[in-house]
Amino acid sequence: MATLKPPPAQHRSSSSSHTPTGPPKAPLKADPSATIADTAVFQGTYPVTIGAGTVIHPRARFYAYEGPISVGDGCIISEKAIIGAAPGTSASTRPSPSSSTGPSPTSSSTDVTLSTPQIQGSGQETITRISYFVTIGPHSTVLPGANIHSSATIESLVTINRYADVGAHSKICSGCQIPANGSVPEWTVVWGSGIGQRRKRARTAREPAPAVVVAAQVAQIPVPPPAPEGKIIENARLMVLQKEREVLGRMIVPAGASKKK
Amino acid sequence: MSRPFPYTYISCPCADTPVLDPARKRRSRESPQKPPPERDTEANEGQDDAKQPANKDDEEDEEDEEQTFDPRSPRSNFSLYPPEQLLYCEDCHQIKCPRCITEEIVSWYCPNCLFETPSSMVRSDGGRCGRNCFNCPVCTAPLAVSTIENVTGNGNGQGPWVLSCGYCLWTTLDIGIKFDKPTNIRSQLQKMTDSTTGPAFDARSRQGSRAFGDLKSPLSNFASVDEQANPSERDAEQSTSKEDQTPTPHLGAEARFAALKNFYRTQISETSNSPSDSLGSEFGFSSPGALNRLMSLYASSSRLSGLYGGTKKPKSKPPVMREALTATEGLRIASGDADSALVERIASPDCGWDGVASLIQRTEQSPDVRFVDELLPLPVLLRTKRAKRCKSCKHILVKPETKPQSTRFRIRLIALSYIPLPTLRPLAQPSATSVSGLAPTPDLNALTPLRPYHVLLTLKNHMFDPVRITLATPSVTPGIVATKVTVLCPQFEIGANSDVWDEALQNATAPLSDRITGMRGGEKVPEAGKVWEKGRNWTTVVLEVVPGTLPGSQAEDGQEGDSDIAATFQKDEDVLEIPVFVHMEWDAEAQLEQQNVGKASKPDDLVARELAYWMVLGVGRIQASL
Repeated sequence: MATLKPPPAQHRSSSSSHTPTGPPKAPLKADPSATIADTAVFQGTYPVTIGAGTVIHPRARFYAYEGPISVGDGCIISEKAIIGAAPGTSASTRPSPSSSTGPSPTSSSTDVTLSTPQIQGSGQETITRISYFVTIGPHSTVLPGANIHSSATIESLVTINRYADVGAHSKICSGCQIPANGSVPEWTVVWGSGIGQRRKRARTAREPAPAVVVAAQVAQIPVPPPAPEGKIIENARLMVLQKEREVLGRMIVPAGASKKK
Repeated sequence: MSRPFPYTYISCPCADTPVLDPARKRRSRESPQKPPPERDTEANEGQDDAKQPANKDDEEDEEDEEQTFDPRSPRSNFSLYPPEQLLYCEDCHQIKCPRCITEEIVSWYCPNCLFETPSSMVRSDGGRCGRNCFNCPVCTAPLAVSTIENVTGNGNGQGPWVLSCGYCLWTTLDIGIKFDKPTNIRSQLQKMTDSTTGPAFDARSRQGSRAFGDLKSPLSNFASVDEQANPSERDAEQSTSKEDQTPTPHLGAEARFAALKNFYRTQISETSNSPSDSLGSEFGFSSPGALNRLMSLYASSSRLSGLYGGTKKPKSKPPVMREALTATEGLRIASGDADSALVERIASPDCGWDGVASLIQRTEQSPDVRFVDELLPLPVLLRTKRAKRCKSCKHILVKPETKPQSTRFRIRLIALSYIPLPTLRPLAQPSATSVSGLAPTPDLNALTPLRPYHVLLTLKNHMFDPVRITLATPSVTPGIVATKVTVLCPQFEIGANSDVWDEALQNATAPLSDRITGMRGGEKVPEAGKVWEKGRNWTTVVLEVVPGTLPGSQAEDGQEGDSDIAATFQKDEDVLEIPVFVHMEWDAEAQLEQQNVGKASKPDDLVARELAYWMVLGVGRIQASL
């Protein structure tokens, strides 16, 4: 299980009090239409809010020790994804994105240090916010303070470090990391490995590539009419995602996967 | 070496006996004009490698035959192969490694759609798939053809189509391209982007009259270098005069290349006056004639002739080729503000670092491409299936099925069906077999020096004839670390690779129980001159190995200074590798008579065969301390 633990957390967690012997169960406020697997873990002292139609897969873990976690409507949190940070994983210094793999400390939280000044987040609690129609892949980690905007896709094995901000309609490809306090603009794809490379997605209609224009000029034919807006690809993706979620909900609920409250 | 212990390598004998290849000798005598294919360069290295010892052999003839194979010599790296990578030539009766074969391409196919491309099409397709297979220009993931009719609200099966990347979500909409049909995407894209095909040629012929006027411009007939003294002025004139003309056609990269190629071809044919001048021929600049021409150019130039003592009569000056001067000839003059426009665009906030194409992305694209939104999808590169031939006798060793879907081979003469497969296994420590039946096997990554180990070497025969084997090792391994090696049973026989059931039926009970007791007890003691274990087509013998001490531990005895050791002690010197010379003998049926006589062959039909080679047994790594 040690490998499933979240990376050593960064920044501070002085607010998240001492760890009790048994992990406290986080107060869960889920919409009735949400599908939450029995084996999903909710720990911590702050509330966890889950929106309508959201699917939480088995063994996803929510650690609300440093602040409330809110998950919007229509999200998919895949198995073994970790939202938040387990207690005692706070690092004393500023985070470095490379240090994301490490053994998780035990429950002793005596190494909690002074809280460093916050860049974001109010003084006491750190809100982790996942907006609408977000997909979070298996084994990904979203650390406290991260803010993931609507329709973003987080693939598997991604680490979103503290206070990072992922824009709407963005995609973080598998294995990438978003550094602490980092921000990904909307309609951006982060791909490659590690911090990765970024690519802006076409949102509006783009004019044809220069090669096409030149060829048309040479051939003295009119430049082909502009292609449809790039947005429609994203629309199609969201439609498919919506359908998938509906079908999944229909498959799971009769099978007896009760909602956890 | 890279394999985990224990491993076995077989040395291809080509390192010691250079392959006589008449074709290659001929080639080496020619000046190498064309860049030889990779296989050849490798082979040439091999040749060089092979030649050196051959020369050495001549000098110290008899002694070298006794010389043992040294697995540590830098050269042996090139001849050692894992047994399964080797081939065997039935004609030469010799092991063949990748260095002593030639390859030829059987078929070209696209790894994505598994369609074969006829070799006549490969060149015109640029070695890429001519159908629907594309790679993402941003991240190189394969692209899928997908429709956007649902979202654009078109009818069934006729919506516009795009190529889309499942990984980085790139689509052809990013470069403003959509396709009308889901098939033949390559030709659709070609039509859209290629400025040389189809209507482009029309366009050029339309401007043809003007272009020919340009070709025949007064500048086109320079006679010598001296007349070209101030070309810049002329260029200026030319360009100013062109300003007044119609806006020059902005040719695409391919079109410009074609125009330039065309231009230089005509230039060559125009300027080459002598019939022997082969520049105009299809060999072009890569022929030896090009060098001749250049040399005569230099030799006749006034300055150099002065240098060389001045041949009195200056020859007639050779005609000088001019360069392309107009846009129709393929010239493109970079406008001065193009760069600043580029810089501005790079600096603009909607481009930035992420908008600039990376070097890796640009290598696959047209040279003009600078930004991510100019990248075109890349057709998938084709792959080849190759047949392999023996270099000395030209016999085919490997021939795959032509069909890309099939993974089978028509001919495949792998060495393992001719030479016994060696496997190595440490024997459990006899000292440790006290109470528990399971004796611990020694840790091969930390062999204790000066302690005897027993290693089991199993040779498994895949031939249908029994084989007599003679093993020989140097009593002390070469290298700094002197390890003593003894083969306890150097001569033995391996049974034929007969039917599996034969063994079961013939000796059903007794040997099996024998073996079980032998395995279970662990009381079996290696004996000199006795085979350890024997099966249907395999035999196991014991090697006794006493690892030598590393130089570092010798220093404790005060023999040598540490600095000397550090200098001589190289990496992996502590790896215990044993060279073993294998000599195998068997009676093979003569191949010609085989069909007539059949299986009931008389002894006369049997031909004694022998094969000898070196192999290297990687036993383990010797510990530094005792």
